Amino acid sequence: MNNRTLQVHLGIGACLVGLFLILYGIPNWVSSPSNVPKIILSPLFWPYTIAGLTGLVGLGLIVFGRGADDDDIPVNDPIEDPGTGVVRLAAMAVLMMVTFWAMPRIGMVWASMGAFAALAFLVRTRHPKIALTCAVLVPLVLYAFFAHVASVAIPQGNYVRLP
Amino acid sequence: MSLFDSIMAGFALVGNFNAFLSLFIGIIIGVIGGAIPGISATMAVALALPFTFPMQPINGILLLLGVYKGGIFGGSIPAILIKTPGTPASSATILDGHPMAARGEAGRALGMALWASCTADLISNLSLILFAGWLASFALNFGPPEFFALMLFSLTIIAGVSGDSLLRGALSALLGLLLATIGLDLVYGTNRFTFGDPSLMGGLNFIAVLIGLFAIPEVINMVWHPTGHIGKVQSLGSKWVTFADYKRSFRSIVRGSFIGVFLGSIPGIGAAPAAFLSYSEARRKSPNKANFGKGEIEGVAASEAGNNGVAGATLIPLLALGVPGDVITAIIIGAFMVHGLQPGPMMFVMNVDIIYGLFIGLIFSSGLLLIVGSLAIRGFRPVADIPKRILMPCVLVLCIYGVFAVNNNIFDVGVMFVMGWVGFVMSRYHIPAAPFLIAFILGPLLEDNFRQAMLMSGGSPEILLRGPITWFFWALTVITVVAISRGTLNKAREPG
Repeated sequence: MNNRTLQVHLGIGACLVGLFLILYGIPNWVSSPSNVPKIILSPLFWPYTIAGLTGLVGLGLIVFGRGADDDDIPVNDPIEDPGTGVVRLAAMAVLMMVTFWAMPRIGMVWASMGAFAALAFLVRTRHPKIALTCAVLVPLVLYAFFAHVASVAIPQGNYVRLP
Repeated sequence: MSLFDSIMAGFALVGNFNAFLSLFIGIIIGVIGGAIPGISATMAVALALPFTFPMQPINGILLLLGVYKGGIFGGSIPAILIKTPGTPASSATILDGHPMAARGEAGRALGMALWASCTADLISNLSLILFAGWLASFALNFGPPEFFALMLFSLTIIAGVSGDSLLRGALSALLGLLLATIGLDLVYGTNRFTFGDPSLMGGLNFIAVLIGLFAIPEVINMVWHPTGHIGKVQSLGSKWVTFADYKRSFRSIVRGSFIGVFLGSIPGIGAAPAAFLSYSEARRKSPNKANFGKGEIEGVAASEAGNNGVAGATLIPLLALGVPGDVITAIIIGAFMVHGLQPGPMMFVMNVDIIYGLFIGLIFSSGLLLIVGSLAIRGFRPVADIPKRILMPCVLVLCIYGVFAVNNNIFDVGVMFVMGWVGFVMSRYHIPAAPFLIAFILGPLLEDNFRQAMLMSGGSPEILLRGPITWFFWALTVITVVAISRGTLNKAREPG
């Protein structure tokens, strides 16, 4: 994707977001009392203003994008294995979801140990032993600090509880 | 009591080992707290507060002020080394500090951050001493229309941090403004984009958005391209900040310090907008403006001068009027009250020894910060040498704990993850993150002050031009917008 395509894609995206907000998002997800005396005092005024401006900026991006040079220079550095990269990104999304789900259930310490180890292997670390050691030690040290020094109630989960 | 008598009374109070030890320990705690993402200077001051209860009032307050000042500088350490600001005030330091670290000049960036912080701190403390009464009475004249005009002017900072494309910067800012509308409406209490979820009613947590936007995209980027960093240097490096660097950045440091002093003396603004405004002004005036955002040492100096300039100035409304300038001074006011002191005009009459004792302690704090900061930079040196594929999982776990600790809320961790993906997509589409963050900070202030002004006037926009302060900020805004438009048009006309 070159700069021109990127700019036009962004512009179209911004226009669509602006239109979606004006036609559906704000009417359905922002509530306003019926007795507001003036529109500028309404809770709807600010979101509508932002949505309108988003659409305008989108139009600006399209106009300036179409006027830009249509060269072949990619805007992002290419990687050797884009297919595997997408799989890794999907795995990262799953890892985040699992970590978020697991934190209140098995405890933040155990969930973050798993997240550390999984991420280290996802990024193909060259130091697996150090990674595993850190995966155990870093969450434990952070737990000790936050729970016992900063008095933060770190979620302990339902199974193994730490002192 | 004459000025000389007041100074002597202050010296009598702080001229002992315990007072300086309290200040020294406070700075150490602050630097460590600020350097751990998620702790922040605010949390470090809050954590230290109960420990000051059994202390002498002056020692306890000096300890808390030490934590405050140390915390603001400490936030720059992870901002430069791992692109994760330890405090929101250090967000602007990332823009040039991290690119410097990426090319092996972390030591130079940290050194400049320290020198700029200490200089700004000294200027801020001297300003506190010289202008406490005058600046506080000026700030007292600010009502919603004046704040609205000031916020509107502050939004022009976005042009300075938009990078290659002003429109992409504007889009980023609009996304930030949009996200800032999430939560209960402050005037009518109705829901805006909360989807019935009580966790969203208070809006998105600022720290979760900040860390999600700046730190998590780095982790995701590493997942996308695990070997992308190979060949790129990431260490403290042998290059250290020189006097020539300091001299070259001196104008930006002084300008940033005064921006910090001015914004810090107005309650409610905080250090982050001051850092961004200082950065933007430095970029505007610098002969090296093209290097800003790519690792320009003057950018680091300006950001750090801006946020540290605030630290002394927030005490101006606190001491002169009893009005806290930001969240941290709101905590510190608690320490005054616990010790039976009531900050305000009467304190200058009843407890003048404590006022001057604090002034003297604050002057020494800049020197102590230089010593503690130099040691801290070396202490945190190993962070720069950790292999990146071990460091990134550490960052992820640190972010999880840090974001959770702010509100003891797992939902905030989810917000951070989502914002991480938003930040990653933005980086792939070359949408700068800084305008998003500035708009997210300033958005609620802008809207609230606008609506309060409209409520005051019954909907008449004339109130937005009601006096010399609003005229001043409107004029500055117009001049800045004209300058930005001219600059953009000239850039578009340039061949190639």
